[in-house]
Amino acid sequence: MDTPLREPTYLILTALAGEPMHGYGLIGEVAALSDGRVSLRPGTLYGALDRLVDAGLVEVDREEVVDGRLRRYYRLSPDGSGTLAAETERMRRNVEAATTRLRQRAGTTTRLAGGLA
Amino acid sequence: MTELERRYLRLLWAYPAAYRRARGAEIVGTYLDLAAPGRRWPTPADAVDLARGGLAARLRAAGATDLLPGVRLAAALAFVTATALAAIWTVLEVQPPNPEFDLPTFGQLHSVGVVVWAAWLLAALAYALAPHRVARATRWAAVLLTALVTPVAALAGLPRPPLLLLVPQLVLGLVALGLPRRPPVWARVAPLLVAALAAAVGVHWFGREVFGTDYYGFLVLQAPVVVAVVLLLATIVLALDRARRRDFRGGWALLILLTPIGLLAVRELAGSVERNPDWATLAATAAAVGLLGPGLLLAALTARLQVLPERPTPPCPTCGSSR
Repeated sequence: MDTPLREPTYLILTALAGEPMHGYGLIGEVAALSDGRVSLRPGTLYGALDRLVDAGLVEVDREEVVDGRLRRYYRLSPDGSGTLAAETERMRRNVEAATTRLRQRAGTTTRLAGGLA
Repeated sequence: MTELERRYLRLLWAYPAAYRRARGAEIVGTYLDLAAPGRRWPTPADAVDLARGGLAARLRAAGATDLLPGVRLAAALAFVTATALAAIWTVLEVQPPNPEFDLPTFGQLHSVGVVVWAAWLLAALAYALAPHRVARATRWAAVLLTALVTPVAALAGLPRPPLLLLVPQLVLGLVALGLPRRPPVWARVAPLLVAALAAAVGVHWFGREVFGTDYYGFLVLQAPVVVAVVLLLATIVLALDRARRRDFRGGWALLILLTPIGLLAVRELAGSVERNPDWATLAATAAAVGLLGPGLLLAALTARLQVLPERPTPPCPTCGSSR
């Protein structure tokens, strides 16, 4: 699968890192993880799950029938776990680099403002 | 079975039959879980979501998963090209017309086409800065204005840009409607940056026109050909670069863009048939390009479906057997 991962894909893997989840649960979890910014619809979600299963990042955990409705639970595979960890590390480094630069910039601005005052 | 469930099941027609059997109940079950109590009809957004999901599942079943990324790549390149052209023609619109030719004008400008070009530049601005819905609406508005400017100008008796420019712009715009929902930041600002560069080139380019600047100036008519060649080369380079990683989206993008590229260069293509092509030759060449481009895309898609045997999709996600 192409990296860097697209945001919905990253959030699906993140949601599954906790425990196996079914489609409805995943949609809610992805919305919660993204503060409501990413709202997946079932057609889009299952398309993404198909690609993740094809890539070996996600596996089917089990099936249940609840109130006459089929619920299939998905879990993160070992490869999926590795990909999520690598992607998170890449993003963490980016965040660290940006935070350092912003801190330096804020320090420079404060000194300049102090000098002018 | 409730009426809502039956209606969702009916919307699954877009998916391949094998996929419907293996996953249909799961997808519909999720929709029912999400539905508010008492709802009786799927929303239009649900219908679009299922149609899109069905198309993706069919492409996946046929082993053509790179077609949709190809559509998105073609859309990005088409949008950059459309906004660059809009910037070039905006520069032309504000150049003073040659009074010796006594051509009709639109106020101080050359034609009503300025409204179309402004709409495309606004669409580029919205793509860079506005939320997805607003950006999509401005792209649709630009496409509609491009389509409507010819009949409106005819009815109102106003001068308009030649069809040689409006037709490829419309086709580029239609391709650009496939832009991705969440592009990276650099992709969002690229159309604006390229448009600014194109405007600067346009100022230099039109300044060299000897007989004053209008849409039929010798150098002006060369501009779409140059843009067509640049677009063709850029797409080929991207396609080859991706193909090295066994990613064939660039090939699909090239096939999709062949039609607008051919339409941009239609005068040159017609010129290879007849030294000084008249209107009929130009129209026949444009029609041939309009048939050949989509025909090639369709032929490639058919060949892909035949070369790659249908994958046994979907095997049951739980037990792995193909039902």
